[in-house]
Amino acid sequence: MTKKIVIEPITRVEGHGKVTIILNDKGNVDRARFHVTQVRGFEKFCEGRLFWEMPHITARICGICPVSHHLASAKAGDVILGVRLTPTAEKLRRLLHMAQIVQSHALHFFHLASPDLLFGFDADPAKRNIVGLITEMPEIAKKGVKLRSFGQRIIEMLGDKRVHPNAAIPGGMNRALQPEQRQEILDRIEVIIADCQFAIDLFRDYCAKNPEVVASFADFKSAYLGLIDDKGNVEYYNGKLRLKDRDGITVEDKVDPRDYLSIIEEKVEDWSYLKFPYYKKLGYPGGMYRVGPLGRLNVADGCSTPLASKEFQNFKKLSENGVVQGSLYYHYARLIEMLNAAEEIKSLTEDELICGKDVWTSSSQINEEGIGVIEAPRGTLFHHYWVDRSGKMRRANLIVATGNNNLAMNRAVYDVAREFIHDGKVTEGMLNRVEVAIRCYDPCLSCSSHALGHMPLEITIHEPDMSVRQVLRS
Amino acid sequence: MKTLILGIGNSILGDDGIGVRAAQELAGKISDENVTVRDVGVDGLNLLEIITGYDRLIVIDSIVTENGEVGEIYRLKPEQIYAPSGFSVSPHHFNLATTLEIGRKLFPGEIPEEVTVFAVDTEEATEVTEEMTEKVRQALPGVVRLVLEEISAPVARH
Repeated sequence: MTKKIVIEPITRVEGHGKVTIILNDKGNVDRARFHVTQVRGFEKFCEGRLFWEMPHITARICGICPVSHHLASAKAGDVILGVRLTPTAEKLRRLLHMAQIVQSHALHFFHLASPDLLFGFDADPAKRNIVGLITEMPEIAKKGVKLRSFGQRIIEMLGDKRVHPNAAIPGGMNRALQPEQRQEILDRIEVIIADCQFAIDLFRDYCAKNPEVVASFADFKSAYLGLIDDKGNVEYYNGKLRLKDRDGITVEDKVDPRDYLSIIEEKVEDWSYLKFPYYKKLGYPGGMYRVGPLGRLNVADGCSTPLASKEFQNFKKLSENGVVQGSLYYHYARLIEMLNAAEEIKSLTEDELICGKDVWTSSSQINEEGIGVIEAPRGTLFHHYWVDRSGKMRRANLIVATGNNNLAMNRAVYDVAREFIHDGKVTEGMLNRVEVAIRCYDPCLSCSSHALGHMPLEITIHEPDMSVRQVLRS
Repeated sequence: MKTLILGIGNSILGDDGIGVRAAQELAGKISDENVTVRDVGVDGLNLLEIITGYDRLIVIDSIVTENGEVGEIYRLKPEQIYAPSGFSVSPHHFNLATTLEIGRKLFPGEIPEEVTVFAVDTEEATEVTEEMTEKVRQALPGVVRLVLEEISAPVARH
């Protein structure tokens, strides 16, 4: 009997990490869908609030990347005020942002991704996780904890020890960095940079031992999007948008991020609450692009700091046309960025201006629209606000990094599923590999929901008529 | 004995904010210098530094159950609710039990030994709002009272 399955992405107990695979008549994969939960009503919630409040409110959207929302929101506020930041304020914002990159990338690589690489994709999930890593390789796990807590410490210094940062405001920053705080960062930074290099060595070692896996795993062509500075280097805080197509040709360059709507459009699918942004000129879904570490390194010509620059050259050698497409290379790109961010922290902190007292610029101007764009750890993040003349929010539009990667994550799951399902038979190891593929993109699955519960990955395989053929759970 | 009372949740996500609201109420009712009350909007590994250095941890959070009544309050040990998961695509997936296990292995002696969770049964929070639903709002005085009883009776009850 044919049974139509209604997919409900928002059910906590089984909702997170839900994958649907639909077979064709021959029992091979026709479509694969990765369901991402997203909370609703944010736009309505913002209506009528002062734009001044937005950096604080948006920081609460997500417990994982509050700093990214906080900064994108403050930047949108800068535009509404029509101000230019003081040099110290801009440096402090960059310091905060780099600290978040180190914190987030360290958490992802050491605690989420490295168990896959160090134990192997087919290792028992009971061991292939952070606890297994701590038990068997405690020194590696400790480096991860140290890196993450270094980034977190800087965020606390600037954000008044609050979990949700209270550091940036439209027009600048809330407070200056104290000399003793600056010294604390400088005292620790060399060890942090060395630990970032250690992580890169770890990944290179994995590549040397598993060249075929790295080269072929969820390897597919797509366009890439990211911010670059005026020299073409990877840029996380300011800069212009560059988009390269699937063959590595630059098709959009030096696009002012405020004109993002001229290159990006969003599509709604009835089976997902998360929209699917795509590159306008190539249409949907052909305009699939990837963001985040791989996207940024693929569009850029270099990195701003010496050690990261050297590693960037090695990264670029992986492909002839300058775009590296294999999903596992997200990890490599992420680690190069972590090194880049640590070196940036060093150079920002060495500059005496970082302790300047002039951290805020006032303005009586209220522009009716403000767009703030930054490169969050997971990719390009857009905050677009419309306000009335008193500064009250009329509308808000956010495109989050995980949204930008939505099409690509679905594609990665499709690629892996296709390799493991033939004539209706599922080969051993598919579940693990779908996990590994999704993890490459470091998706932030459910912004700011913290309710308790066990969240497994569930893969449902459907017949062409949508009846359920098989359910796999981790 | 140093105690941390930690309300976890998101105050702009409806019922998910119950832990935060309870912590805010408790902060005004407790003056014991050995008891710290905090509310946080993070979970997982980001809790590690926050809970380090205390002997006892009392967590207040929301929970989504399959068969429970919304508004019901459960007194639980971490291992009763959080089966440590081998799978984690997202950093959201580090649960409290895993975080405690990691902390105890990496920082022996620094992580609270006695951990109790007060969990309030809620619907899945899917909408951004500061309002909690009626049943969860009604559970607030109850969970505050239970935590106050807990700290005044330091002998562990199960």
